[in-house]
Formats: sequence, structure tokens, C-alpha cells
Amino acid sequence: MEDLGFHVPSLVVYLINFTILLSLLYVVGYKPILRMLDQRAESIKDSVEMVDRVREEAAAQQVEMQQQMEEGRQEGQAMLTQAREIAEKIRDEATSKAKQEADEIVAKARESVQKERDEAIDQVRQHFAEIAILAAERVIDRSLDGKTHKDIIEKVLGESADLNRS
Amino acid sequence: MAAIKRPAVLLIFVLLLSLVVYGLMNGAIGTSLTSGEGEGTPLLEAPHPHIPPQKIGFPSGKGGESVTSADGFVITNTILSSWVVMIILIGLFYMGTRNMKIVPSGLQNFLEFILESLYNFVQGVAGEENSRKFFPIIATIFLFVMLNAWVGLLPIYPALGFIDHGHMKGHLLRPAGTDLNMPLALALISFVFVEFWGLKLLKLNYLTKFVRLDNLRKGNFAQVPIDLFVGVLELLSEFVRIVSFTFRLFGNMTAGEILLLVITYLVPFVLVLPFYGLELLVGLVQALIFAGLTLVFVVVAVTPHSEEEH
Repeated sequence: MEDLGFHVPSLVVYLINFTILLSLLYVVGYKPILRMLDQRAESIKDSVEMVDRVREEAAAQQVEMQQQMEEGRQEGQAMLTQAREIAEKIRDEATSKAKQEADEIVAKARESVQKERDEAIDQVRQHFAEIAILAAERVIDRSLDGKTHKDIIEKVLGESADLNRS
Repeated sequence: MAAIKRPAVLLIFVLLLSLVVYGLMNGAIGTSLTSGEGEGTPLLEAPHPHIPPQKIGFPSGKGGESVTSADGFVITNTILSSWVVMIILIGLFYMGTRNMKIVPSGLQNFLEFILESLYNFVQGVAGEENSRKFFPIIATIFLFVMLNAWVGLLPIYPALGFIDHGHMKGHLLRPAGTDLNMPLALALISFVFVEFWGLKLLKLNYLTKFVRLDNLRKGNFAQVPIDLFVGVLELLSEFVRIVSFTFRLFGNMTAGEILLLVITYLVPFVLVLPFYGLELLVGLVQALIFAGLTLVFVVVAVTPHSEEEH
């Protein structure tokens, strides 16, 4: 063994050397580097998880948004339908009111025309009676007493009414 | 651009070819061919490799003399080299981890790459649970063995030495792997490491590998002598590992060192380079084998025997 260089003190030196090297490398090398690798792995894992979470949230939000848009569209559609119905109703009401007013105006007009016509007829009748009396007085040259007078007028008017009717 | 490059490449090629021819002519092979037996003088003197490490003359002894068992504590050229390696390793890691950043760059990136690769290797063999326990020793063995082999390839190693009567008596620095004590120390550490974790994790069950009582308990008395023999073999194999670890590394490193010395003596220039490349590979492979085998042995040691059998 001596020819091969076996030397106990050297062996002890190498054992001590290795122990020192192992301890120092552990402190200045393995520990910080493994910690850094763990930290990085953790950070990458967190990032990936966060990306997944954000992606899921975005997908959920998109679904929710689409749902809200659908709801909004349906609501808008319903409001539009309702507005159309209201507009239809208002138009119908306005039409019927206008028609009613028009009918009332026509009725009033008719009534007024009728009234004016009646008054005109009365006036005409009055004048006619007066003219008739006057004419009769001149024709018969006598004055008629009140009763006779009235009878004659009524008779004439009755005839003229018959004439009007015919 | 090609026009500029081509003459430069040609020049380098001619230079290398000249060096090859010069090396062939003036190396030991060339001189013996051209000048006849014992007449010519090769460019380099014949190497006289010493297997034991040499003293460097501190704290006692004469520089360049081989260490003997009679010597007490002396600093040898291999111990000095191992200290150089330790300083390089610790310095590198200190510089690389001084200002660590979450996004690594430069030296930190390089060191992280090495350690992460090693850690993944350990994790792949030992599993998630035990990888943290085994990693420091395995990584230190790997780095120490590899760098010890590689530093020996630096030109300064064979250049510095102790001159005695015009001859190089011994080198100031010599790769620690070529000193039997260094592989032996690592083998002992590997042995203690394996037994420690085996006992720590399996408690007394670990010893059932050596003392097999299953057949005795079951009444299979015919199997008992076989168990006894297997137990002794197992125990023996634990100690044989120390020897195999030691001489595998020591043999490879010493052979590599001698190979380089001899090839340089035979053909001093250029043709030595492939052997340097080979030694780089040998250093890496030996480090991987030493660290890898220690890892495998410790994993086998901490695996319960019942699990092992299935």
C-alpha cells in the first residue's frame, strides 16, 4: 500500500477537506440555489394558477355578460312590445275620442241647424201669417176678429205644413 | 468575408500541420526513428511517473520527495491541488449566489443549471421524498471528483515543479484523484453515508439485510445456512464497495495522468489534444459513476427489503 501512496494523515486531511467543502458548498451553494429554484417553481406555479383562475373568471364573466345581454335584449324587446301596445292604445283612444268629438260636433251642428231652421220656419210662418192677414184684409177689406183671424192662420199654416211635408 | 476567412483558415491549418510534423520529428518517436537507438535527444525528457504523491516542502520534508508512511502530516502536491479545487468551487458558488435574482443571468444561471441538472438526476433515482437528504453529498462528490480531474489538464500543473540536478523531481500540483488517499476518503464517506441513511430510515430493519431471520422464524431450517451465507456476502459487498470505489477512481485518474505524460513525451504537439479531450470525458464520467453509484447504493439501502423483493 505504501508504494501506492497510502498515507493515513493525508487520508484524514482529505476527509476533513471533503467535510469542509460539503459544509461550505451547502451554505454558499446548495441552500441558496435550491431555495431560489423552489421560490421560482412556486412563483411559476402561482402564475400558472393565477392565469387559469383569471381565464376561468373571464370565461365566467363572458357567460354572465352574454346572459345579461340576452336578458337586456329580451327586456328591450318586451319594452318595445309594451311601447307598441301603449302607442296602439293611445292611437285607438285618440281616434275614438276624435271620432266622438267629431260626432258631437256634427250632432251639435245638426241640432243648431235644426234649431235655426225651426226658428227660421217659425219666423217665416210668422211673417207669412202677418202677410196673409194683411193680404186677406186687403182682399176682403174688412178686419177680422181675433178668433177668426187665428183660425184662418192655423188653417193656412196647416196647409203649408202639409205642403212642406209633401 | 469568405475571401478574408479562407487565408486565415489556411494559415492556421499550415501552422498546425507544421506543429504536428515538428512534434513527430522531435518527439520520442521521431528521434528514435531518425537518429537510431539511444542517439537522438527528444524535445522532452522521459517521464518518470510517481504513484505516491510528492511533498511540497511544507511544513516539513523536502519538496518533490514522495510521501512515505513514516511521514506525519505533510502537505503534498495532491492535497494542495485539492485545496485549489475547493477554493475554485467555493469561490464560484460564493460569487454566483452573492446577489441572487429571480431571473438568473451569468454565473448564477450557469450554477443553477448545473445544480438543477444534478438535482433532477438525484430526484429521478431517489424520488421526491429523499432527494433533498441525499443531494448535498452526491453533488459535492460529483463536483469535487470532476473538477479535480479537470484541473490536472491545465498547463500549469505539469509546468510547476521541483528541479533537482536539471531534472523535474516532482510537481508542485498534481490532480488529487491520482492520490490513493483522496478516492479512499471519498469511498469511506460514501460508505458511511449509505450506512447512515440505511440505519436512520429503516432503523433495525436495515440490519435484516445482513442477518436474515425470516426462514429461521418460519421453520425453514434448510434455508438458514444459505441465508447466513447471503448475509455475510451482503456485509462483505458493503466493504468491497470501498475498495472498488477507491481503485476505480484512482486507476482511471492515474492512468489518464500517465497517458498524457507519455503521449506528450512521444508527440509533443497537437496530436496530444484528442487525449486531453478524452481525459475531459473521463473526468466527467468518473464523477458521474462515483456520484451515481453512491446514489444507487443509498437508494437501495433505504428501500425496505420486503419492497425490494417484490
